[in-house]
Amino acid sequence: MSFTISESSRRTVRSTGRRVRQGASLASACLLLSAALTGCAGSAKAGSNAIQASGSTTVAPVASDAAEALKSKGLNITVATQGGSAGGISQLGTGQINIALSSKPLSETDKKAYPDTDFVTTQIGADAVGVIITKEVADGGVKGLSKAQVAGLFEGKITNWKEVGGPDLQVFVYDKEPGRGTREVLDKFIYGEGEPPAPPKSANYAIVGGNLETRNKLKSTRGSIAPLSTGFIDGHPELVAVPLEGVAPSLANVASGAYPMTRPLFMITNGKPEGTVKQYIDYILSPNGQKLLTQHGYLTLKQMGL
Amino acid sequence: MGLTLERPTQAPGPSVPLSSSGSNRGKRARWVWGWAYSGVLSVLLTLTVLLGYLVTGIASGTVDWTALLTSSTWSPGNLTFGGLAMIYGSAVVCVLALLLAVPVGWAAAIALSEYLPPRLAKPLRLSIELLAAVPSIVYGLIGIMIIRPFVAGLGNVPGGDSLLAAGIVLAVMIMPTIAAVSVDALAAVPGRYREAAYSLGLTRREVIRSAVLPRARSGMRAGVLLGLARALGEAIAVFLVIGRADDRLPESLGDVFSFLVRPGQTLTTKLAGPEPMLAGTSGPYFAALCALGVILLVLVAVATVWGTRGSAKGGARAPRARRSSAWLRIPKDRLTTVVRLGALLLPGTLLLGMLGILLARGGAALNPVFWFTASEGAAGGGIRDQILGTLLLLATTALIALPLGYGAGIVIGTRASAKATRVLETLTVTVGGTPTILLGLAGYVLFCTTMGWGRSWLAGTMVLVPVVVPVVALTTAGRIRSMPAEITEAALALGLTSSQYVRSVVIPYTWPATLTGLLLGLARAAGETAPLIFTATVFFGAPAVPSGIVNAPIQALPTHIFTLSQDSGAPEAVDQAWGSALVLVLITAALLGLAVFLRNRFEGARRWTV
Repeated sequence: MSFTISESSRRTVRSTGRRVRQGASLASACLLLSAALTGCAGSAKAGSNAIQASGSTTVAPVASDAAEALKSKGLNITVATQGGSAGGISQLGTGQINIALSSKPLSETDKKAYPDTDFVTTQIGADAVGVIITKEVADGGVKGLSKAQVAGLFEGKITNWKEVGGPDLQVFVYDKEPGRGTREVLDKFIYGEGEPPAPPKSANYAIVGGNLETRNKLKSTRGSIAPLSTGFIDGHPELVAVPLEGVAPSLANVASGAYPMTRPLFMITNGKPEGTVKQYIDYILSPNGQKLLTQHGYLTLKQMGL
Repeated sequence: MGLTLERPTQAPGPSVPLSSSGSNRGKRARWVWGWAYSGVLSVLLTLTVLLGYLVTGIASGTVDWTALLTSSTWSPGNLTFGGLAMIYGSAVVCVLALLLAVPVGWAAAIALSEYLPPRLAKPLRLSIELLAAVPSIVYGLIGIMIIRPFVAGLGNVPGGDSLLAAGIVLAVMIMPTIAAVSVDALAAVPGRYREAAYSLGLTRREVIRSAVLPRARSGMRAGVLLGLARALGEAIAVFLVIGRADDRLPESLGDVFSFLVRPGQTLTTKLAGPEPMLAGTSGPYFAALCALGVILLVLVAVATVWGTRGSAKGGARAPRARRSSAWLRIPKDRLTTVVRLGALLLPGTLLLGMLGILLARGGAALNPVFWFTASEGAAGGGIRDQILGTLLLLATTALIALPLGYGAGIVIGTRASAKATRVLETLTVTVGGTPTILLGLAGYVLFCTTMGWGRSWLAGTMVLVPVVVPVVALTTAGRIRSMPAEITEAALALGLTSSQYVRSVVIPYTWPATLTGLLLGLARAAGETAPLIFTATVFFGAPAVPSGIVNAPIQALPTHIFTLSQDSGAPEAVDQAWGSALVLVLITAALLGLAVFLRNRFEGARRWTV
């Protein structure tokens, strides 16, 4: 009897010893890991002094060219385009970047979503969004579209180009991702302040993101149509911006406001631009910086009469 | 505590007594266990962070699970969140990919391991492993440049963006993975089984069927699961070719086929799009996206558990007796030989084709200037900064992941009981199979938003570490498992404590396998795109070497290729993209070459044990 007791108690002692040892190794493991993590965090306070800009793929080319030009003056500026205009605004709202590039005006919902952010918008130029079709379709007879026709095309109700006076060719719609400035301009043209309907369930409908992707897919797809900044089709003769309601997106028509899908381009900051951020934005507003807008097919503030 | 010479049949590895009583030598190497357990903790920490991100996300708003699982209408503007179309899309592309890849992958593996003489098999095996390690962004580029036009040319598919294109891209991507893992499983079957079967007068086909496959089956199944996990979790390659159209669901069975050639959306492409950035970090929109993440994670976990359950049983199960008809034995044998060797042609052609395309179109990379100059504007100049950024990410990831993965592998291989091993292994495999887009989003919310790091290379590293740790841990644990029992027994008979046993027996025995695992993991991490887009990289303007640690974004090759491949209309961007892809492939090939070198040296050294 006593033998069994001592045996079992010895076993308990041994197993507690094991538990203690196991606990010790676990504890030291925790220590090791936390040391590694805090080591990282501790040395993490030294941030770089680069200005970070992110957002609209429409504004990005101008922003990168300006950044390139200011490199020689020691300004360090990064440009990213993840998420488009709305992505830029949300990253500014969460304090990840210094400048949001936007090709759409700030909305009330944006302001409500980030109440702590003091959004200050600076317009740097303007741009026309075209309803872009392929040259094949334009040459086939589509010389212009009405608002109702554009709505029919993007809602999937018009599925063949011959319904709008073009060739016997299926329509393929490339729509922009949600949050893209370009899409909001198109929605505003078609629906005004109303809510756009859900996308059509047609087979010939796909989503695209940035402007370059849109252009690439337009070029590689017969009978395609997409909203795209007209600046992006310069030098691409296989794509055509159709006149809307009889008004072509010419410089004069855009500047006078006759063309319906004109939009401002913005740089948005949290509070008034200061220091290097101000230097950067001021450069874009200067005559040299404004030339960059012309280079990319956009309108300068002067052309817009601003 | 006595020494048991008989190892428990259920234990997958050499189960080591925790300590030999009466010996005080254990103290000397106690650090081994602290380090080893921190590896396990890092795996658990990753899971905790991931689940924490998803659960708090879901808790921050209400999720209508019924709608999410049964409705296909996704309309954030109207606060309607139906995920059925995305679940359907994920299922279809994965089924397509498996249907195309599994038969070819398995047959190629059998041909390689059982039919070809070693002189031929070795370089081929190497090529398949190289293919398996090709970064998925390169497959994405091939998808955009070759498979999209191919599908467009198949029939009335304007543009070619479709579920079918995504399925083909995934199949091409996972087939080498399936083949490579299966080859390893087949090679692990000891030769004496084959010899015994041949000596019974069986044909080669019968030997493979009755003696080899039963023993390799669990490993081959693991290969399929690895492939499935990769297919389920792949975001970017699919993102580029699927069309990203919401709300697509066939209404009848007949529609299923016509919907294959239509644009669609998967769980991962939805998460890789702009919406996680637009949804903020709380509210119903964010909650719905997190719920999609949970569904994705659950799908991967189910596949994982299903696979590991099979392999745990398979270890102990004796091969079933098979009744094989004697009819046409020899012709059947010849036919299978032809089919299997034929299947080997496919990955072979694939490899040659890919190398050809890369060399033909990525010519820029052959010019050293391209490697050593910085990029100019959107698509000009070289890619020096992108290469440096990628190497920085890889180096820091390796520094953190190696000790953690090694430690976890040692614990899984030696310390834990059979049941605990299974749990730990399942968790590790789950972390390893976790869709990297989820790691990226969790990292984005945790590091970039909550901790205010902004985009930084360190956030990118933190996201890549969980990609590498499981690979290291699992190769290490697997190697420990294959240790001959005699070694363990001899070590214990000499009176080594468990930590001394790890230090002087396990580590010398496993380090080449561990390093191989590290290099394989790094080769995978090198091509990760989706998580880096959210956490670490920008397209323009980041300095070559970051000047800080947080708020210090970098440029990296995968995201560079991603951005350029979308701009594939401009010829200079195409050249730049292919050139960058070739450089990225060369970097992964170098990592892999090193892994193979290690393995070969190691296989030579191993002979004394067999």
